Amino acid sequence: MLTLAEAPAYFERYREIIPDFERFLEHLKEPLPLYFRLNELKCPDPEIVIRGLARQGARAEPVERVPNFYRVEPRTFPLGNTEEYYLGYIYPMTLNSSLPVIALDPQPGEVILDMCAAPGSKTTQIAQVTGDQAVIVANDRRLDRLTALVANLKRLGIACAMTTLYRGEEFPHGVPFDKVLVDAPCSGEGRYRQGYEGELLYQKEGRTNLPAIQKGLLVRAFDLVRVGGIVVYSTCTINPDENEMVVDYLLRKRQGRIIECHYPQPHHPGLTEWEGKILHPDLKKAARFFPHETDSVGFFVAKIERLM
Amino acid sequence: MAKKARRKRIHQQAVWPRTTSLEEREAVLSFWEERFGIPKETFDPYLLLATAKNYWLFVKPPDLKALQGLRVQTTGLLFTRKVSRWLKPTSTALQRFGHLATKNVVQLSPAELDRLRRERKISYEAPLEEGYVVISCEGKVWGCGLYTPGKLISYLP
Repeated sequence: MLTLAEAPAYFERYREIIPDFERFLEHLKEPLPLYFRLNELKCPDPEIVIRGLARQGARAEPVERVPNFYRVEPRTFPLGNTEEYYLGYIYPMTLNSSLPVIALDPQPGEVILDMCAAPGSKTTQIAQVTGDQAVIVANDRRLDRLTALVANLKRLGIACAMTTLYRGEEFPHGVPFDKVLVDAPCSGEGRYRQGYEGELLYQKEGRTNLPAIQKGLLVRAFDLVRVGGIVVYSTCTINPDENEMVVDYLLRKRQGRIIECHYPQPHHPGLTEWEGKILHPDLKKAARFFPHETDSVGFFVAKIERLM
Repeated sequence: MAKKARRKRIHQQAVWPRTTSLEEREAVLSFWEERFGIPKETFDPYLLLATAKNYWLFVKPPDLKALQGLRVQTTGLLFTRKVSRWLKPTSTALQRFGHLATKNVVQLSPAELDRLRRERKISYEAPLEEGYVVISCEGKVWGCGLYTPGKLISYLP
């Protein structure tokens, strides 16, 4: 466990790539704000939720720049214990977690693979954005995580998703996907901060070779999508070894290009150089989101089109 | 001796639920229309799939055959159950589509809902047809109940 006192030394490696580094370090001491996404598929009127939460002592205000997101005060409010949660009207999630689906831009009728789907925040967001009319294959390699995913699909009343239990790197060929989302397992550095009870949420990656796993997932995702289709790769970490280096690996192995996106949160271009290595020039079109500039979790998102 | 931990089994040979015939689909959707006044067309964008005792709603894919090649764990939304020779709507499906119901909807007060959830069966009189009902409270649909004259039985999860 990395203590808050050790954080400056740990993140020193990123001093050059994190804007306003000192403010970033200060920001780690603040807890994450609380947000939820309103599930329009089930909730006929947002006022029902807003009034219901107000009766229980929580104030919910819409986030203008991200549709269907609401900020809740106090931020320690137990959203998971409310009847609004039980009935599937809300899905608590951080604001920046919405960004990969914004990049994916899912449309009704498209066949979409969510390769590392559990516990389902992005699967259910795709379903909601498409009015429950995309065909979503929600995959995860672990049964316990898949159980949580299935419970969330049921809770939110999603009918357009099916679930599968494959290792992402070995997901079978045969379905011509229009789009694939790879919200890859990562070291979670973007989530690192002092938690609600003063705990640190960072988990050390240990001996797992995350970049190797991420490269395997991204290459398979690229091979599964049809020519002209889209792969979105995202993580909640700052580490370029898990972000730009992974996408760079793909772009050297396969014919693809990164597409620039418009996001509702402030962001910076992806890196085109890291620790002396020159990376693919397209990576400047990827996006880096920092916790202290977005008051949310740090994220990396790259939208890649398959050319051949 | 320590009890052996129970593990959920993975169905390695899990197969796709079958797509219902037009007649079977018509029968299930007619039940929803006749019982709750929800038009059959509401479900036009969806396939109706069937397992031994359940019907599932799943969006119509452009190429079903390709998806059927995958080893699937779950498909779509649990919609209706076969109970003996009757059809029973699931609470999951009523929570999603119940706000479209025009009849056989029970409007409970928060106190009545609370008692129903705790006691599972309460005395209740209303001009309703005997059978399954939509349980609603202050604009929120909670799920399925069974109304018999003078009684309301909870099928809420």
